[in-house]
Amino acid sequence: MNELGLAWNALTSGWAVPAAFAGVAWGIVGGALPGISPSIAMALLLPFTHGMDPVTAIVLLASVYVGAEYGGSIPAILIRTPGTNAAAATVIDGFEMQRRGRGGEALGISLVSGLVGGLFGLLVLALATGALARVALAFTPPAYFALGVLGLSAVAGLSGRSLSKGLMAATLGLMIATIGTDPVSGVPRFGFDSPDLLGGIRPIVIMVGLFAVTELMVQAVEPDWEKPRSARLKLPDWPTWKRLARPQAIGAAIGTIEGATPGAGGTVAAFLAYNEARRWSRKPEEFGQGSVEGVAAPECANNAVTATALVPLLGLGIPGSNSAAILLGGLLLHGLTPGPMLFVNNPEVVYGLYAGLLVANLAMLLLGLAILGPCLWLVSRPKPYLMAFILALVVSGVYAIDASLFDVAVALGAGVLGYALRSLGVPQLPLVLGVVLGFMVESNYRRALVISGGSHAVFVQDPVALGLLVAAAALIAYSLRRR
Amino acid sequence: MRRDYACAAAGLALAAAYWLAADALPRSALSDGVGAGGVPKLLALLLAAVSILITLRRNPQVETPKNPMRALGVAGLGFAYVAIVPFTGYLVGLALLAGSSALYYGARGRTVAWFAVASAALLWLVFAKALGVALPA
Repeated sequence: MNELGLAWNALTSGWAVPAAFAGVAWGIVGGALPGISPSIAMALLLPFTHGMDPVTAIVLLASVYVGAEYGGSIPAILIRTPGTNAAAATVIDGFEMQRRGRGGEALGISLVSGLVGGLFGLLVLALATGALARVALAFTPPAYFALGVLGLSAVAGLSGRSLSKGLMAATLGLMIATIGTDPVSGVPRFGFDSPDLLGGIRPIVIMVGLFAVTELMVQAVEPDWEKPRSARLKLPDWPTWKRLARPQAIGAAIGTIEGATPGAGGTVAAFLAYNEARRWSRKPEEFGQGSVEGVAAPECANNAVTATALVPLLGLGIPGSNSAAILLGGLLLHGLTPGPMLFVNNPEVVYGLYAGLLVANLAMLLLGLAILGPCLWLVSRPKPYLMAFILALVVSGVYAIDASLFDVAVALGAGVLGYALRSLGVPQLPLVLGVVLGFMVESNYRRALVISGGSHAVFVQDPVALGLLVAAAALIAYSLRRR
Repeated sequence: MRRDYACAAAGLALAAAYWLAADALPRSALSDGVGAGGVPKLLALLLAAVSILITLRRNPQVETPKNPMRALGVAGLGFAYVAIVPFTGYLVGLALLAGSSALYYGARGRTVAWFAVASAALLWLVFAKALGVALPA
């Protein structure tokens, strides 16, 4: 009861509620802008929190994260451009729905699924932080490697009609992930002596190129698309709600586990949730053709991550993602040390944050309803102007990530690659998965071998790693059997 | 089928080039048993194997792309922007990109000029003023 009192006090005595609304609004706008990731949107606000009281500051930053993860789905659905990494999986069916004049319905499903995922993640965060933190604490390098392999096993289900071409795309993605400094020895790899490539290529740059630039290229030779039939957001009706229950449950469960696992993040969660939702769907043939389940599962997963990603941060002081690292910066800025002692020394911050996240999720529903109407209006504008504006937005957004024209050129190059792949019938999503998971897989594979003295037996001796590898093998076998 | 062979040939060529580049990586004293080139070499072998697999399996037909040179023109406009923006600055460079790409997509008339200026000004306000991004001068 004391915890409830602390949460209520945090909500009523300070600026936490306005901060939650302002953070979500800023996050939705930032997430909807291609190239502005949740962590960048949070980082831009970080200096402004200096003069605020700690609870207000942390609630503001966490609310940006909530809003940005939802905001990322808006351009994913409307213009086939994931505003955030985690929204990449939403593109598949969300944009298909938009192409078929069901953009308002897709956005409504995204909004309510995000709310369901966010609230479920928050519930888990509040009730089971300690237990989930202990699960994450048990992860060793072999287990992280196995986790990456589990993520890559989704390729079998994401390869479309040709598994061999899907494997080729995933391998290309893993190759791109090896560009930059070697994670163990520090040797620069495949950088052609360019300082811009020393740090590697950011996945978001590749994603913007593959999704947005490729689509802009394809649209140059395509006739005008069908305009949205509905100018208003359409929340799901009761039969749709019943159909969404299963993918939402899958998304919430996967988002909870992936969020609590440092390094996994919303992107892996969204792709896994999409794949699992298709696997367990009664209508798997609709996936890729504008399935409502294909929008619900990843959106539910990536919003569940926004809450459970805070588990290792609050419980152990380990930031498991870029956004959690920004939140860590916010805590340190106010003299707070995240970790188990935070619950003892500053419980008002912890429970104030829980309450603030609850308000942020509800604010997301209200603000989402207000912002989606103008988004539908936007996509109804004349195509030449819309395409030209998106191209201008993409080059500006990619530049904003690291103030680098080189990144803009990489995104354009990724667009050309995506167009070539599409022309050859090679799916793009396995490539994205390879880029996202490549570093995690290689660095933990090699760390595990260093620890074991070069023995590969470490991957079957570690029970968590073994369990994850068995799960990956089962997923691959199941996907192949379903083909 | 011909495009599958092209895909496999491109994959094999890339695998060979990537293997050679991985093999040429310097050996560091800090390196582990796998080495900086270990995983890349494994990936090169995997890519080669998958490329051969593509030629052996019967893959579904792929739709022939329409007018690929016109599609590549969009990326060309983007690369032109990257080349000129250090000299023109963000506002002028972006206005040129927005205007030229609107024309490329089929817009006509004086509205294009207004659109170009308005787009550049709006994005400058968002990124430079609201988000504080240091845009190309």
